[in-house]
Amino acid sequence: MAPGARKPVGTDAALAALVAAARRVDVARVLDGDIETRLLQSIVDATARLFDAEAASIAIFESNPDRLEFRVASGEQGRGAIGLTVGPTEGIAGYVFSTGQAIALSDVAHDPRFNRQVAERTGYVPRSIAAAPLLGDGGAIGVLQVLDKRSSPTFSLRDMELLSVFAGQATVAIAAARLERDTGRLLRRALVSIDPDQADGDVDAIIREVTPGLDGDAEVPFWRLVDAVVRARSANGPPLALVAAILEVLADHTASSRGGIARR
Amino acid sequence: MTDPLLPAWSEPFANPGHALRRPLRVRGITREWAWGGATGSGVRVGIIDSGLENDHPDLHGRVVENVAVEIGADGPIVVADEPRDLVGHATACGAIIVGMAPDVELVSIRVLGGDLRGKGTAFAAGLDWAIENGIRVCNLSLSSKSEALFPVFHELVDDAYFRSVALTSAANNVPGPSYPSLFSSVFSVAAHAEPDPFRFYYNPAPPVEFGAWGVDVPIAWREGRHTVATGNSFAAPHVAGLVALILSKHPGLAPFEVKAILASVADNPGRRHPWRTRGAGRPASVEAGPESDEPREARQGTASG
Repeated sequence: MAPGARKPVGTDAALAALVAAARRVDVARVLDGDIETRLLQSIVDATARLFDAEAASIAIFESNPDRLEFRVASGEQGRGAIGLTVGPTEGIAGYVFSTGQAIALSDVAHDPRFNRQVAERTGYVPRSIAAAPLLGDGGAIGVLQVLDKRSSPTFSLRDMELLSVFAGQATVAIAAARLERDTGRLLRRALVSIDPDQADGDVDAIIREVTPGLDGDAEVPFWRLVDAVVRARSANGPPLALVAAILEVLADHTASSRGGIARR
Repeated sequence: MTDPLLPAWSEPFANPGHALRRPLRVRGITREWAWGGATGSGVRVGIIDSGLENDHPDLHGRVVENVAVEIGADGPIVVADEPRDLVGHATACGAIIVGMAPDVELVSIRVLGGDLRGKGTAFAAGLDWAIENGIRVCNLSLSSKSEALFPVFHELVDDAYFRSVALTSAANNVPGPSYPSLFSSVFSVAAHAEPDPFRFYYNPAPPVEFGAWGVDVPIAWREGRHTVATGNSFAAPHVAGLVALILSKHPGLAPFEVKAILASVADNPGRRHPWRTRGAGRPASVEAGPESDEPREARQGTASG
């Protein structure tokens, strides 16, 4: 877009349409707040309960520098791990993350070097651990761990499979949260390109109104949205029709996403 | 215990029953013929993993070479590596294989520990190096759902297959396909819970073709330690050990021949019920069950079916 053309004709109407449509999209704000952390917390809580384990935790891969960061944990013994980071190929979590293979080790208390990096910082050395990768379509994004199942010194085959199912749920939750975040960013850029003078607070309010409930299942509508935003940013004329198209896609996507969440 | 939620690759092996029944077997193939007296001598086994700790007592000095894949500016290169294990997993796998085939030569091909963005590339380069360097059996501990890696892995495992390199790979307990373990040319393995390294099953309903011990397995771990582990990735080296034994006694067999031998001597139940077979018209070379002509004592861990 050429300089000077950043606030095209029809901006006020476009913004009014955005706000109106955002309300019309009828998105329940059941997932407000930090959706990713809340969903992950519910998964580790359920995992710890299911396995009757001392602790469960999820570490998420972050880059620059590459590391696995323990984002959520359940149980008294696990909470000390929140915020800790380990190398992406380090220890059990790193191995599971980098190979995509779920494994369990037990009788590890006899080896003080086991999981030393985390144990030294939390003062908690587990006797047994099971870990499964969070596998997205583009590769592993993190690791789900269970520490010290109370009813048994080891983990069974069924334990491993259930753990992998829970890891799959965590992966979906993260994908949903990230798509929502990314969609918010795209909308922000679209809005600001229409009206650079729009106050940040107003933009945030509109985005918050529109984006809850999106998830990663509907890949095609998502990319339709991206394409629409790109077109909007490069448009020279009144962008109202394009904005309407964006919102239509968004509304469709949100509606289907809510169905998707209900099914889970 | 059927649960539609679970991918359950191990399920047929966890409770061997009707699902594993196989009416027909190749006549005359016994465990005694397949690997009786074999030690793994003359067979090089590659461990594509976290690096072997050469002086771990459970490896009995059988590691002959350590290399690592590094991702350089011009792509992956294979360099000499330190004899250490970043995690312990490679050493665990190597020790399982040496425990079954004590005279194999182990080659450590470390692909973990480098830049994760090059993981698939490093893996491909490690496997390529193994194919080019006389490895006959390769145990892989890496899997991916990445569609971008699908064609890369597919070409590599085909290359290995056509050059008679047997690849053993742990199945991945995630919904949907993962690679390379679910390619048909690979010896894909899931875990069973019976504590016997030589007890294994052939699954007539792939994609996962073999079940081997992978629950509460006593294993070697890094820095000379030991622990107890569960996972399909501890089942796969048990099949690698069997393959090494067969190849040491019958050099030159192609992977499909080795698979046929394993399928013939597997512990699957159901061979006492020939009346359940398809009946007349089968080739003379195939029998409804080797119970009568197979020396039971040659078979370790005979199934109870």
